[in-house]
Amino acid sequence: MNTFNFIQAAISHNLKDPHSKALEPDGLSPLLAIATQSSGARGLIFLFVLLTFVLFHVSVSYSASKTFKDEVGREVVVLFPPKKIVSLAPNITEILFSLGLDQEIVGVSIHCNFPEKVQSKVRVGSYISLDFEKIVSLKPDLIIATGAGNTRDMVERLERLGFPTYVIFPKNVEDVIRSVGHLSQLVGREKEGVEIIQEMKRRRERVVERTQGLPRPRVFLQIGEAPVVTVGKNSFADDLIRLAGGDNVAGNEKEMYPRFGMEEILKRSPEVILISSMNPGGNYQKALQEWSRWKTIPAVKNGRIHLIDSDLIDRPSPRIIEGLEEMARLLHPERFKR
Amino acid sequence: MTNDHCSLFNYSFMKILTLKKVLLISAFLGLILVLVTILSITMGSVKVEPHRSISILLQSILGLKGAGTETEKTIILSLRVPRVLLAGLVGAGLSVSGAIFQALLRNPLADPYILGVSSGAAVGAIVAILMGLGTLSFGLPLASFIGSLLTILIVFYFGRQEGKIHPNTLLLAGVIVSSSLSALIMFFLSISQREELRTIVFWLMGDFSLSNYQAIRLIFPYLLFAFLLLYAHARQFNLILSGEESALQLGVNVERLKLISYLGASLMTAASVSMCGLIGFVGLIVPHSVRLIFGPDHRLLLPASALVGASFLIASDTLGRTLFSPVELPVGVITAAFGGPFFIYLLRTRKVVKTL
Amino acid sequence: MIEVDSIFFRYHQDWVLQDVSFQVRKGEFVGVIGPNGSGKTTLLKILYRLLSPQQGEVFFDRLSLEKMSRGEIAKKIAVVAQETYPAFPFRAIEMVLMGRSPYLGHLMFESPKDLEIAKKAMEWTETLPISQRPIDELSGGERKRVYIARALAQEPEMILLDEPTSNLDIHHQVEFLDLVLSLNREKGLTILMASHDLNLASEYCDRLIFLQNGKIYKMGSPEEVMTRENIEKVYGCEVWVDRNPVSGMPRVSLLRKGVH
Repeated sequence: MNTFNFIQAAISHNLKDPHSKALEPDGLSPLLAIATQSSGARGLIFLFVLLTFVLFHVSVSYSASKTFKDEVGREVVVLFPPKKIVSLAPNITEILFSLGLDQEIVGVSIHCNFPEKVQSKVRVGSYISLDFEKIVSLKPDLIIATGAGNTRDMVERLERLGFPTYVIFPKNVEDVIRSVGHLSQLVGREKEGVEIIQEMKRRRERVVERTQGLPRPRVFLQIGEAPVVTVGKNSFADDLIRLAGGDNVAGNEKEMYPRFGMEEILKRSPEVILISSMNPGGNYQKALQEWSRWKTIPAVKNGRIHLIDSDLIDRPSPRIIEGLEEMARLLHPERFKR
Repeated sequence: MTNDHCSLFNYSFMKILTLKKVLLISAFLGLILVLVTILSITMGSVKVEPHRSISILLQSILGLKGAGTETEKTIILSLRVPRVLLAGLVGAGLSVSGAIFQALLRNPLADPYILGVSSGAAVGAIVAILMGLGTLSFGLPLASFIGSLLTILIVFYFGRQEGKIHPNTLLLAGVIVSSSLSALIMFFLSISQREELRTIVFWLMGDFSLSNYQAIRLIFPYLLFAFLLLYAHARQFNLILSGEESALQLGVNVERLKLISYLGASLMTAASVSMCGLIGFVGLIVPHSVRLIFGPDHRLLLPASALVGASFLIASDTLGRTLFSPVELPVGVITAAFGGPFFIYLLRTRKVVKTL
Repeated sequence: MIEVDSIFFRYHQDWVLQDVSFQVRKGEFVGVIGPNGSGKTTLLKILYRLLSPQQGEVFFDRLSLEKMSRGEIAKKIAVVAQETYPAFPFRAIEMVLMGRSPYLGHLMFESPKDLEIAKKAMEWTETLPISQRPIDELSGGERKRVYIARALAQEPEMILLDEPTSNLDIHHQVEFLDLVLSLNREKGLTILMASHDLNLASEYCDRLIFLQNGKIYKMGSPEEVMTRENIEKVYGCEVWVDRNPVSGMPRVSLLRKGVH
């Protein structure tokens, strides 16, 4: 508040009547002194009040903190809007970039790979190991972590070092949309956030509409090779499969990433097999070959084995909608022509 | 005897260990430790001028305010110093308990983990992680400490026969319990989800990145007490190496010594492992290396192992966090990578143990 | 000095020693002989309280052994037994200094007095030249002498020896026992030696205790104990007993089958 006083005093000092004797450099006295002068000063008073009002709000919003509640229920007090942000996971990085931030992002995890602009960013560690020194030297106003990957110990350590840390924890597509909203508020880009959310919702609705009433093919999504791991009830991919008009054969499994033996897969007889891959362009022949032994599976018999980009279906960022669309295309090709 | 007035100097031809030698060598090793510590504090993924690091450190010790930005102070005092201190304490703890186990079991292959203490700690930690208790501030170290305590009791119970501790029975019990717990650990790993898996594996590899002063305040008095207790019996450890009957006829209360050494060394190991996970090699190589250079006398072996172990682990941790910055190599990898070849070098130039 | 009063001992079910009573006077050189399993080693272990008899008592200078502390016993009785050398070899001088342990108590480091005693012990046993050698690099005979030196460093009143000559060749056997004898005669140390070598026992011991199945079969001078009847009765094999032509002590000779 000292700034405020000073500005006020400086303005009043400049507005004062040089011949008036009632000059005091502190507080409201100059104001009173002016107010008691001739009525021509009333216009000046109005301007003065307006000016201080504006300045007050500006200085307040530049030096005040805001309290937020993050997605795991923690209270986070942030200097608002945050000007130096560190992201600890790839999905967070994507969301921040999509909200139009770039310069504000001062640190990312080593796993972050999208968009291109992220290549030049400073890396601050991985899911299991943070480079605390780097983070300290970057002096961020805000750190954003994910509940699915960063550990609680890490977050506590960051808090103890004095960095407000906001944790998001989206578990399905709807959650991702909400997280985008939360983060947009957190970084002061609400307008951009709203746009993204609307776009995501629109495209999601489109997919759901188009696949309404269609028979749901049984889908097996493979995310691990040895052992074979698929996606269970609370995973993202399961949500996507459902939204894309499919029926996840592992959809009732309580584990998020259950391991399936071949017997189990044969029993469930999937009609489409999707393979989550870091390199969706290649490896196709290899994948085909591995599954070709099991010709009793309808998906194998009918050649409905497809690779799908893991970044799109496993990363809770706006691009998950792309994953959804891709999946819908693969499950219901007749409805989604390229 | 008319020679009471002779000084030890007259007997220097005997080349035995004297207090003076112990103090001299300890001072020398202590100096190395201090150098390693200071060097480690100046190194890290963020560049801080060495003279500034040292002045920040000195000022904080002497209670002055002064040079160094907030950032630098945070890096040095909140990140590097606790880490280095904890690594030093754990290195000392593991080395001393390794030496004690080698004496207790009269086996050169013994290390602090041989009696299952580490497996018990791991099980405790994994259970805590799987139950989500890793969220409590001291949940993880406490759970792993409890796990190791239970293991210590179980092995102790099985290692006794007719009220006496039999080293070979103890060893067997320890190895069996350890293997069983390893199987349990593998079971837990097989049912874990991705994130839990990562956390568990990382804990198992040993990690100092979350070091803090609280942890240090907790284990320092504990380790110090255990060390002093064990050191008070250093001469008796020498005797027990020739055999229990031999030690007994020389007046040593062998059962009490075995109990003290077992509990003391196990608790030291448990405390160390609970704080930072499993770090291998230190407890095995350091005592052997010290023995090869300075001899098997425990009056020197114990303090020397503590000092060398501390330096070694601090150096390993520092290398781990600076070699491939920002990626951190687990400290266990460094101890194996550097410790192993060094030990082989020692083996070739001197003899470790002629017979088992 | 030592009074053994009706001791009974067993490890598990069977009695290893039954109703054993005898006395050893100060300055005597006593040998305990008997077949394998007769209880010789067990008896020795009881004498330095490694084991405690289930019945009966042992007195040392009228004091019950049970009532003495480990340290007190160690200052009076030293033992030279079968040894495996330590897992991490110490030097001979360090081994000898370990004999000072009962006198050091809580102290960590030896005083000049301790070093002097160790030096004297090594002079007596002629082990000073090998004092710097690691114990595992010594020959059997040298090692045994180092252990005697250690026993001497304990400044005991009595030394117990358990099969001390079993791994030595005849030269070293005699050398060793000559040393022990000199300790007995010149320093007045009471010696109790368990041995399965009857002839050595006969040559060196003042008195023999002949054990059979945990009981004393006969006690007395070598002439009294080592008779053909006694030996054949206890050992269950045929022997020839005559006199050593030089010393005059009883001498036992083996008889091979078919030679009479």
